[in-house]
Amino acid sequence: MRANQLKTGVFVLYKDQPCAVVKCEFYFPGKGSAFARTRMKNVKTGNVYEYTFKSAEMVETVDVETVELQYLYKDGETLNFMNPRTFDQFEIPASIFEGKDKYLMPEMKMFFNFYEGEVIGVRFPLKVTVKVTEASEASAGNTVNAPKKPVTIETGVEVMAPLFVKQGEIIIVDTETGEYVSRA
Amino acid sequence: MQKTFQKLKQDPDLWARYWIREQVIDAIRAYFKDLGFHEVEVPLLLPAPSTEPFLEVFKTELKDDQGNKWQAFLPSSPEFALKKLLSAGSGSVFTITKSFRNGEGRSSRHNPEFTILEWYRTPGDYMDIARDFEGLMRFILTFKDSPRRSNNLPTRRVLEGRTHLKYQGKEYDLGSPWERISVAEAFQKYSGIDTETMLNEQWLMAKGKKKGYQVDESTTWEEIWDQIIANEIEPKLGQKGPTILYDYPIAQAALAKKARDPRFAERFEVFMGGLELGNCFSELTNWKEQKRRCLVDLAERKHLGRTEFPMDTDFIEALKMGMPETGGIAVGVDRLVALFADTSDIANTLFFPVSELFN
Repeated sequence: MRANQLKTGVFVLYKDQPCAVVKCEFYFPGKGSAFARTRMKNVKTGNVYEYTFKSAEMVETVDVETVELQYLYKDGETLNFMNPRTFDQFEIPASIFEGKDKYLMPEMKMFFNFYEGEVIGVRFPLKVTVKVTEASEASAGNTVNAPKKPVTIETGVEVMAPLFVKQGEIIIVDTETGEYVSRA
Repeated sequence: MQKTFQKLKQDPDLWARYWIREQVIDAIRAYFKDLGFHEVEVPLLLPAPSTEPFLEVFKTELKDDQGNKWQAFLPSSPEFALKKLLSAGSGSVFTITKSFRNGEGRSSRHNPEFTILEWYRTPGDYMDIARDFEGLMRFILTFKDSPRRSNNLPTRRVLEGRTHLKYQGKEYDLGSPWERISVAEAFQKYSGIDTETMLNEQWLMAKGKKKGYQVDESTTWEEIWDQIIANEIEPKLGQKGPTILYDYPIAQAALAKKARDPRFAERFEVFMGGLELGNCFSELTNWKEQKRRCLVDLAERKHLGRTEFPMDTDFIEALKMGMPETGGIAVGVDRLVALFADTSDIANTLFFPVSELFN
């Protein structure tokens, strides 16, 4: 593809290495045509590269297979998923989730990227809908200005939520920031 | 997704980051007023914007109650308006105003509608502007931390004390003088390319190809030059404090005066912490040369399929009256604010970022 079609999440070959584009911004130097300023992550080694492409240049894309899988259970540092169509099972290393595995709940579905048979990435849901399992009644917020309190959600994680959130309620949590979004 | 005004209601601690914009703008005003510059307003509705070939503009229409219509544009910079005033004898001036660029990708460093600071010192040249900029940055740093509503606001003359700015986990020294390196030196030092090669179209393309850049029959000298700057030089600049990269090849400085070495023009850019903070020229004052460059730009716009518009003939008429020797600079205020607010995304300092208004 041409570099002007690059965007976050695309897989490209850079210096003969398969890389995921993790950041891509276009800019025009005062005088001159457009450039794509990118950050790429080598999907094999995890090394990060920064490179600026001319927007007209050709970039080789990498054949990455995308499969939707359903979460089953955790076994140590390995998370077991199943393809709900073929019933094939997959063992996914927890490191792929970059910390977001703490929001995993049974039967949750998400898309995984495979390169040469190996899992290289996951598109984790941006928001999860979860039950509050523990919330203090007290209105003892941390400050007068930002009245929030810690509540525990069903996956065992603590989230800062407004004072009105009660035990048993269903809330939405942003998995990027770990922040409370709203009541469901 | 929550919008900024909703987040502010929910988490009032956030206000502190957003008030930094106000502090930075107050500081800029105080600094230039103390230097004796006049602050001026420029129009945001124009019959002819400035001519940079690669910038796309916003086009609209002005109507009156008689059914008359005029095509109108939002400015991509306040430059032409300010130069008219300079030619009319305003003396040194500055403006803090909105400018607009259309057709660009969403970016953490740029909003389609942005706040720009331009100041013009006359008599002056680009190195006078560099010294103004050094003082301005330290003044903002001091001003920002001074108690609000105090009658003892720092003036430009009491600038002892802090010169260190923390940005994204790194310390930068704003103390004078900032590092200065010419484009020719930077190509030699960071890219191993001598001046003759850098300025020669075929030699630079060959060198670029050898370095692994994609070069084909449509690739231009500018593209390879910009790509070397972006990949090999910019990452080395502004690591410990601001760096002034100066004296650009003539082809890279349409509105600047020639330098002593006539292959270069008196232009500099300032880099720090991965951000390009400002773009400065010793301004071109020759109306014939300016008119020629405007016409070349407009022809190139047509060739590139950009929105077409007429040349601002008032600008040329103003230059004919005689523009004084002037140094001028454009500084992205949003980036300055992001720097002093210690955030990598300018959207974090805007109450209404474009991504929340148009999504």
